Amino acid sequence: MNFWFAVFRQAGRNLRQTWTSQLMTFLTVSLSVLIFAFFYLIYTNMLGAGDRLSDDLRLIVYLEEEPGTEMKEQLRRKIENFDDVEEIIFISKAMAYERFAAQLGDDSDVLADMPEDFLPASIEVVPLQTLRGYNQIKLFSEYLASLPGTEKVQYGQEWVERFYYFTRLLTIVVLLSGTLLILTATFMVAYTIRLTIMGRRDELELLKLVGATNSYIRTPFLIEGILQGFMGSIIGLSALYGLFRWISLHFAGPGILNLFQFNFFSFQVTLIIVLGSISLCSLGSYSSIRKFLKI
Amino acid sequence: MAENMNSDNTMIEMIKVSRTYKPNITALSDISFSIKTGEMFFLIGRSGAGKTTLLKLICNMEVPTKGLIEVAGHNINQLKGNDLAHLRQKIGVAYQDFKLLSDRTVAENIAISMEVSCKKPRAIKQQVRDLLDQLLLTDKHNTITSELSRGEQQRVALARAVANSPRLILVDEPTGNLDAATTKQVMDLLNRSKQSGATIVIATHDASIYQQSKHRVMELQNGAIHSLTKGA
Repeated sequence: MNFWFAVFRQAGRNLRQTWTSQLMTFLTVSLSVLIFAFFYLIYTNMLGAGDRLSDDLRLIVYLEEEPGTEMKEQLRRKIENFDDVEEIIFISKAMAYERFAAQLGDDSDVLADMPEDFLPASIEVVPLQTLRGYNQIKLFSEYLASLPGTEKVQYGQEWVERFYYFTRLLTIVVLLSGTLLILTATFMVAYTIRLTIMGRRDELELLKLVGATNSYIRTPFLIEGILQGFMGSIIGLSALYGLFRWISLHFAGPGILNLFQFNFFSFQVTLIIVLGSISLCSLGSYSSIRKFLKI
Repeated sequence: MAENMNSDNTMIEMIKVSRTYKPNITALSDISFSIKTGEMFFLIGRSGAGKTTLLKLICNMEVPTKGLIEVAGHNINQLKGNDLAHLRQKIGVAYQDFKLLSDRTVAENIAISMEVSCKKPRAIKQQVRDLLDQLLLTDKHNTITSELSRGEQQRVALARAVANSPRLILVDEPTGNLDAATTKQVMDLLNRSKQSGATIVIATHDASIYQQSKHRVMELQNGAIHSLTKGA
């Protein structure tokens, strides 16, 4: 008889004999994978959305008065002294008026009675892609605000700050759900394998006496752990994909989901989650084998 | 391992073997004897004389307090892991308490000793059928062992012990629950194993199976050798 045939048959027997606890473990692993993958999916999509939004990020430095050519150069040097920037655009009062009128479109006649220099001159600073962290942007804006002749700096502070804290919160949730996955996968599987070992003590004793090798006795338990990890992750991820498809279908159209362009995991990430689940469940199985299956 | 079993003329060597249980119970004391390859050897004595302990020491179910035990040229107490497993595959043991899996069928119980040696399923099925025929248990093939009588369970335990064609067979009280006709079937089976080269050690109370035989008989008394006949 082929060794692998024998150990797979033994693993099948184990699963049949303790199917209720196996089912509970399988559901727990599936649910843990689902919870972790759900938050991780939101997290990765939020990071993607953050990257896309930060592409449009620019700091507007409102000036007290229109700068001359000399002062423009001085300000440019001062800005670049802090860090290299993608672009610096000086907006004169007249340009600001034109832009505002263009934005108003058909309603631009409301500006008819306004003087053309009623808007302040400003500088639009587009930071480098590398300078997109919340703290860095905050420091940069404080630096710009401290420059002489600066009245105010705006970059959507409130929005950036909220987004930053939301992603921080998501990071914590992802870490917590990851910990939940680790605990359930390792401990639940370890506990189930332990139950199986206890339930088959007489048979394991006999197997030793008739000359079964260590690998013949241990491998079925390891296969059990691998199967739990594989099936649990596949079911968990399939459920998440189903949920993702349902949300995509029912919330399609102009809305927040379209703004964020929600995507499912790539094949590589899916594979890593499956392999991670298999590894954790195998680890749980291995620890029980080491502890309770002394040969 | 199999080479050693065939080439060495001595299958079992015991030199000054003692076994003591806590707190201070001596089960065996200074036992020394040898059994040749292919020999049938009887071990007799009253209950508590040490017969079962001796068999357990030979198959490494227990370790001696002192002394040397060699099986097929190997110090069995120094073997570990796969080496010990491979040696055990060549030793068939029919235990006094049978050690049958009560939730499995007769066929599954007999097959287990061949499965661990990774034999082909077809060969296992054939061997199981042959053994059941020889032990008059053909109709019990799919019966759960807990539903069998003691005598039937005893024969299943014996069938499992010889199924893997071991080079050494240890049998503890093989005829204790059997009538005369079935006892003859059991002894015929053991004799056939002997003829195919196996060494047989039988621990028994049943004088009818060793009195007329030409084989050596060792009597134990209070854990010591009382007598050892020379055999034919």
